[in-house]
Amino acid sequence: MNLIFDILTTAAILYIVAAGLLLVYGVMKIINFAHGAFLTIGAYASLVASQVGLPPVAGFLVALIAGALFGLVIERFVLRPLYSRPLDAILATWGLAIVIGQVITLVFGREVQFVPSPIHGTIALLGTEYSAYRLVLILIALIVGGALAILLTRTRVGLVTRAVILNEQLAQGLGIHAQFVRFLTFALGAGIASLAGALITPLSAVDPNMGVPWLINAFMLVMVSGVSMTSLLIATLVFGSAQVIISSYFSPILGGMAIAVLAAITLRIWPKGFSRD
Amino acid sequence: MFKPRISALSLALALTSVSLVAMAADEKPIVIGVPVGLSGANSVVAPSVVQSAQLAAEEINAAGGILGRKVVVEVADDGSGAVGAQKAFDSLIFQKKVDVLISMETSAARNAGLPIVAKGKTPYIYTSFYEGRSCSPWMYVNAWVPEQQVPPIVDYFMKEKSAKTIFLIGSDYAFGRGMLDFTKKYAESKGVKIVGEEYLPMDGSDWTAVISKLKAAKPDAIITSTAGGAPNVTLTKQLRAAGVNLPYGNLAVDEGTAKGMGTDAEGIYISASYVTGIDSPANKTFLAAMSKKFGADLKTPNDLSVPQYEAVYAYKLAAEKVKSTDPAKIVTVLGDVKFDGPRGSIVMNKQHHAPLTMYLAQVQADGSVKVISTFKDVDPGLQCPNLK
Repeated sequence: MNLIFDILTTAAILYIVAAGLLLVYGVMKIINFAHGAFLTIGAYASLVASQVGLPPVAGFLVALIAGALFGLVIERFVLRPLYSRPLDAILATWGLAIVIGQVITLVFGREVQFVPSPIHGTIALLGTEYSAYRLVLILIALIVGGALAILLTRTRVGLVTRAVILNEQLAQGLGIHAQFVRFLTFALGAGIASLAGALITPLSAVDPNMGVPWLINAFMLVMVSGVSMTSLLIATLVFGSAQVIISSYFSPILGGMAIAVLAAITLRIWPKGFSRD
Repeated sequence: MFKPRISALSLALALTSVSLVAMAADEKPIVIGVPVGLSGANSVVAPSVVQSAQLAAEEINAAGGILGRKVVVEVADDGSGAVGAQKAFDSLIFQKKVDVLISMETSAARNAGLPIVAKGKTPYIYTSFYEGRSCSPWMYVNAWVPEQQVPPIVDYFMKEKSAKTIFLIGSDYAFGRGMLDFTKKYAESKGVKIVGEEYLPMDGSDWTAVISKLKAAKPDAIITSTAGGAPNVTLTKQLRAAGVNLPYGNLAVDEGTAKGMGTDAEGIYISASYVTGIDSPANKTFLAAMSKKFGADLKTPNDLSVPQYEAVYAYKLAAEKVKSTDPAKIVTVLGDVKFDGPRGSIVMNKQHHAPLTMYLAQVQADGSVKVISTFKDVDPGLQCPNLK
């Protein structure tokens, strides 16, 4: 039972962390290498929120808003001039990650910081004692995933966004302002990344490089998921359970590499990965 | 547009040449080289080490210097690694021609620096705790090795917590594995069973599976030795989130980190040769002098920075004993001189290592560190049987 909870909570964390990256990849066709830096921004936003005395839930909102604002500015001034050169845009996000990391180091220092956890202790559930906060993360992942699904499939914004994902030129021909869709999508992706950063702080230290290990796993998951939120859900469950099982029965060191290695193998034999279209 | 810059530059040059002339007027100062990791893994702690060296030099100069000569501290960044250390040691020894090297460094940096120290025939006092058994006729160590740090925790868990089984968790690198290897041997020799030993890479942040194994093994106590900083905090937070409240000995946490961790750190046992709460006049004088000199910029003195302070004085005593700064003479007496500092009386007379008084302390709810028991003059054991 404990193992099943480990798998579900690991998949939930991976889903929250990768969702923003997938959204940006879907609409903009570029991998945002600054995704890890947005995670870090979110973690520091919740750090600041907790230092000025806001409750943890407000800290999550502060992170979401801070990430989205940074996303708006960065899309406008860094990425928009580079849309005709996708490769340069990807390089720009990488450079951006370095710049954000250094700025955070300058402002907050290199040292490890701490955000208090909103929920302490364990809950007895189905015959085992399990970390309450990790169980809450499953709920949050479902809410984030559900909200994105509703946004994309049940609203006009979503319809327009999907049109841009499927065929940008056709969408533009129909009078959809694709540039504005990109603008909002990048901000939303950055906001979700920052929210994810804030959500992992109760389980992790806050330091300027905290986003880096998460970026690699999120990147691999997005590669195998294509642009579908549903296939991302499947991918996080499959690879999350692989990571937990390998860590539990073999070695946590191998488990840490599981997602990257298995995703690479999956793409080799099944280039479309988990995407269905 | 460039004018102000040029004039600022020439002003700076003028000032430098003035100060050079002023220095040349005095007798040549004694230069203490401090290669230290201002960037990289050690960057969190390195500033506190530099501060202690500066305080020691200032105090010595105020009291008339060493053999009547002024002391200056020459700091070089070694990037916390082997490549940076080679550059830093080379430049300090062969360009700056330092009289002695005194520093806290990573093991990788120390190993890279040692051949250069031997080539340059420069005395070297290593002031960082480490995994032990690094030997050179030119090097003395005044910080702890596993033989000194681990037994207080294991003994305490056995006697006070009746622990019969212990679970070990660490980061996968030389220091993490070295500490836990020793812990395992020591605990097993005392009849304690090690029911698990798990490692995660240094940048690993997901301890889920390790914690599940820990819970399944149901040990009486946990001892961890992760890389300092982030992995340590992450592991502790996840242990607490998983509701683990076993006696928890942490071989890698320092007082400052423990303070910052808040309630999650409460109850953690640490073993160190220095904690700020040591109740001695020497320690109180030292802490007062540190806060007077550095004020708001003070980095909390710790188990890495205090040995640095004491080592500068050990060098002073050695130079005064042989009435010279001749490196060959200095290294013959560094093992005999005794300095009474914040950590007590320290002599590096055990195969170039020092018996140390170790403090077993526990982190309290308010983040302060309370000394639970004191182990007087713990022997470092046989570190370098080929040295005196």
